[in-house]
Amino acid sequence: MLYLLVFSYVPMFGIIIAFKNYKITTGIEGMFTSSWAGLTHFRAIISDYNFPNLVRNTLVLSILKVIFSYPVPILFAIILNEVRNAFVKRFVQTVSYLPHFISWVVVTGIAYAFFSTGYGMFNDLMMSLGLLSNPWNVLTDPDSFWGLAVMTAIWKEAGWWTIIFLAALTSIDPSLYEAAEIDGASRIKRILYITLPGLKSAAIVVMILSIGNMLGGGLVGSNFEQAMLLGNKLNSDTSQIIQTYAFNIGLVQGRFSFAMAIDLVQSVISVMLIFTSNYIARRFSGVGLY
Amino acid sequence: MEDWVLDTVIGIILAVITLITLYPFYYIVLITFNAGTDTITGGMYLWPRQFTLGNYIYFFEDPKWLDAFGISVARTIAGTFLGVLFTCMVAYGLSKNDLKFRNIYFILVIVAMYFSGGLVAYYVVLRSIGLINTFGVYVIPGMLNLFFLLIALTFFREIPEEMAESARIDGAGELRIFYRLILPVSKPLLATMCLFVGSGQWNSWLDSAYFVHKEELRTLTYRMMEVINQAMVPATNSAAIATLSSKSTVTPLSVQATAMVISIVPILGVYPFLQKYFVSGMMLGSVKG
Repeated sequence: MLYLLVFSYVPMFGIIIAFKNYKITTGIEGMFTSSWAGLTHFRAIISDYNFPNLVRNTLVLSILKVIFSYPVPILFAIILNEVRNAFVKRFVQTVSYLPHFISWVVVTGIAYAFFSTGYGMFNDLMMSLGLLSNPWNVLTDPDSFWGLAVMTAIWKEAGWWTIIFLAALTSIDPSLYEAAEIDGASRIKRILYITLPGLKSAAIVVMILSIGNMLGGGLVGSNFEQAMLLGNKLNSDTSQIIQTYAFNIGLVQGRFSFAMAIDLVQSVISVMLIFTSNYIARRFSGVGLY
Repeated sequence: MEDWVLDTVIGIILAVITLITLYPFYYIVLITFNAGTDTITGGMYLWPRQFTLGNYIYFFEDPKWLDAFGISVARTIAGTFLGVLFTCMVAYGLSKNDLKFRNIYFILVIVAMYFSGGLVAYYVVLRSIGLINTFGVYVIPGMLNLFFLLIALTFFREIPEEMAESARIDGAGELRIFYRLILPVSKPLLATMCLFVGSGQWNSWLDSAYFVHKEELRTLTYRMMEVINQAMVPATNSAAIATLSSKSTVTPLSVQATAMVISIVPILGVYPFLQKYFVSGMMLGSVKG
């Protein structure tokens, strides 16, 4: 049949492309072209003097993002759900996820315009209010990178994830609220006993996604983009993460196998995280991704 | 009484959120309409002090920025069109139960979604198939979007098989069925995919920064990143702040702000109208993983 000819050939082509990357990391290409290196590269990772620092930065950044970015969309959804004016609700929501569609380059540019010591309004404002006596260069101070990264990530993505929670809230039966109102439950009580439980399964699914992508930055993702764009030579003590290090070593210094070994370690850990978090969630609540 | 307090608190919180989200954009717009030499003296919050259109004029006259803009537009159009079409074709094929080895393809897709080879391996592949330093590197690797493949797959399964069946009896070929029947009934899906693939293309910067070395192939996002990188290194800071020519008030930072505004405008024009489509698409995707 023509059908089989066209439509089984096309997926095959696509899948070959998708899979090329994957095969190479596991060493299939290296098998043909180079000799076996065994675990040499993996040992080199462990003895690399940068390694403890990289692991620390990656973990701290990831954990901070998981912890701080997770509650924001839930709270925001609950607040929006309490808004009665449909236009206001829709407007605020639409505005809140606008940053999701903007490139990290632009977000970084905006952050730069804000925090630059030369002309940025942040330092201007802080100094004229007397909160800072000297300009604070948020962009190059190693101590501020984590905070900056977490805050810009939440600014960019929190509104987006609110969509999921708001959608979960629309499936709550409105008669529950009416019944509670007749029984004399206050609005706060209705939020606590109707809205929150209604969010439970969405919250668990999002938690799994968040932990599964922990090394990428959790819900808000973008560990890599931030480290590349917001990171610079001056704050590299806290901004350099495993991925960017692998990237620099591989593409800039040309040590491909070493960089691939680093990448591989990270992707194995990520996959383990996804399966573990899914397993635990299923075990405790019966909700899982698959 | 209690309601009134709660409504006020909610109102204030929402106002603050809206302000936090919108003000940074407004601030950038402000910079673009102010003379660059004046902006760097700081202290501008609400309206331009020295109103000028110079930044926009400069942007559209400088070949460096204009070319980058052109490349960005071209890659977005080509990448979105090919990406959406190709992904849909694959998904349609996979949605048929009588496809041979269907389960194997399916497993391949799932595994590829969870595992990635990392950027370095990706680079090696691109180099070995000769895509480095070509326009193709912007378009070809993104042609199959696995996330949307699964979403499209679910969508196509919902289309009753009888529709295709009756067309087949009337003598339509498979390709004809796909283009004339399946795609037209999939408009919500296509709209969502176009928005996401399109904004992904428009916003992407990494490929231009690391997979392309030809100046004439750089994208708008790359040019913006270039200014950020220059400005962040203190040694070149003075160079970044200096005006671009002795007579003009335009600085690299004010052109960059202009580029940012220009790159936000198309997105701003499109996404609110596609809202109802992508909200449902987002739900579907998140449940599937």
